[in-house]
Amino acid sequence: MTAALQTQTVKKWHDLYPELGTGPIPIEPYISCEYFERERELIFRKVWLNVGRVEQIPNPGDYIVRDLAVCGTSILIVRGKDGVIRAFHNMCAHRGNKLVADASGACKGLFTCKFHGWAYSPDGTLSHIADEESFFNLDRAALGLTPVAVDTWHGFIFINMDPNPREMLREYLGEWGEGFDGYPFSELAATQFAWHTELKANWKVIKDAFQEVWHIPTLHHRTIPNVFADSPNRYGHAIYFKLYGQHGQISLPGNYERTPTLVENMSLRYGTGATVIKKSSDKLPPRVNPARDPRWSIDGNAIFPNCLMYVADQTYLTHTFWPLSEDCTLWEARFYYPKANTLAQRFSQEYAKVILRDVNLEDGSTLERTQTMLASRAKKEIVLQDQELLIRHHHYVAESYLKGHSG
Amino acid sequence: MAEPQLPEQFRELELFLDWSLATERERTAKRQSSNMSQIRSFYDAMVPRLEEILNLLAKYPPDNPPPEVQGLFLMTLALAEIAPAVENFGQPTVIDGFDFARFIPAQGQ
Repeated sequence: MTAALQTQTVKKWHDLYPELGTGPIPIEPYISCEYFERERELIFRKVWLNVGRVEQIPNPGDYIVRDLAVCGTSILIVRGKDGVIRAFHNMCAHRGNKLVADASGACKGLFTCKFHGWAYSPDGTLSHIADEESFFNLDRAALGLTPVAVDTWHGFIFINMDPNPREMLREYLGEWGEGFDGYPFSELAATQFAWHTELKANWKVIKDAFQEVWHIPTLHHRTIPNVFADSPNRYGHAIYFKLYGQHGQISLPGNYERTPTLVENMSLRYGTGATVIKKSSDKLPPRVNPARDPRWSIDGNAIFPNCLMYVADQTYLTHTFWPLSEDCTLWEARFYYPKANTLAQRFSQEYAKVILRDVNLEDGSTLERTQTMLASRAKKEIVLQDQELLIRHHHYVAESYLKGHSG
Repeated sequence: MAEPQLPEQFRELELFLDWSLATERERTAKRQSSNMSQIRSFYDAMVPRLEEILNLLAKYPPDNPPPEVQGLFLMTLALAEIAPAVENFGQPTVIDGFDFARFIPAQGQ
């Protein structure tokens, strides 16, 4: 069945995925400390998690440190002298100090513990034991940094906290992860804009807001009301949904008829507008604009559990949600654009960046308020409509993990 | 007479050099601490010249432009920063929005 035909004949997207049901969703997953502990143990400590991109550590010795409260540890991710990216628990084997305190940097030689001076190579081996003769029967080989499973997919670095991950990253990403070959993830990573914030909301409250777009004409009526919506599609409904195991995809139409503002109009001449941007090119790989719909502008990809990746023709962006507790989240947003060849092009990217950042600020305040009301338990459930398929899918997948199913 | 800080044809914009700021943090702080009449004056001075400015900026790759071009370029970034204040919100900051200071840009951005 062609996608166009599907759009005509399918009454509701949920009809394609009857296993998800259509009922209300309990609010406990958004407010319960006990539920959060189960998510931590059975999801975050078991699955592959996107922690960054290879461009963040381009050279041997470059490292990033990710303090992952939800995994109860700090992870050191480092590119070795051999160019290989490795990940370790960021912990000295002597008395347990956090080995590297900086968030990122370039290690010239060894990582030296600031407590007593034990030092480790970027490949994790213990290279120097200060005052070695005073220790007893040390097994130096066993005292290297504790490794964490790490792998990359199109330049995205994923880790898995399970000492024995039950599947490789490629298996975990599955069918969704295939089909992006040829998409210029690295080229578009030449210009990156990133932000982080601690939001007083459950991580799924934030994720939910970014995996449906029909709130845009309402909440974002001042900023980007009609980037997706137009008069026949006043709520900016998605044009396609597809689920792939634990991951999912939403495809959005572009309203190419809308009138840009004065400054945006100038910015568009040099490449980038408020969102998107260009009509679908024929060169896009199969997993981008999967329905090959001419109305397409951008896809949202929900990578279970906590990463959303929006992919368009000339840009992509990621939102990652790191739970700090059941009602507080480290939210990281990162926008990716091609290298600006001129200062005018860089201006154009700045305009796009600013308007989308301001849109995120509109979301932020709303989401904190949502959390306070969920916590009141005045309502025991929330209700979802057809365009909120990915939210329902998240709950469905999470439940299967929490029951001990491996995905 | 002082050295020109902007390219010759844009010297009248030197009145607004306080908007020539290097980082997003500085630009959001300036946006937040300015009133709408200050923001409007900057917008109204820049927008009629923007096409001409971008024609000039389109001749320079981003690395190491001459200082007066860099100064003008940074003013266009500030224009991008305050454009939503004028065109979308009618007030300096995001209406009913989260505070800029809490949405922390990457180092050096």
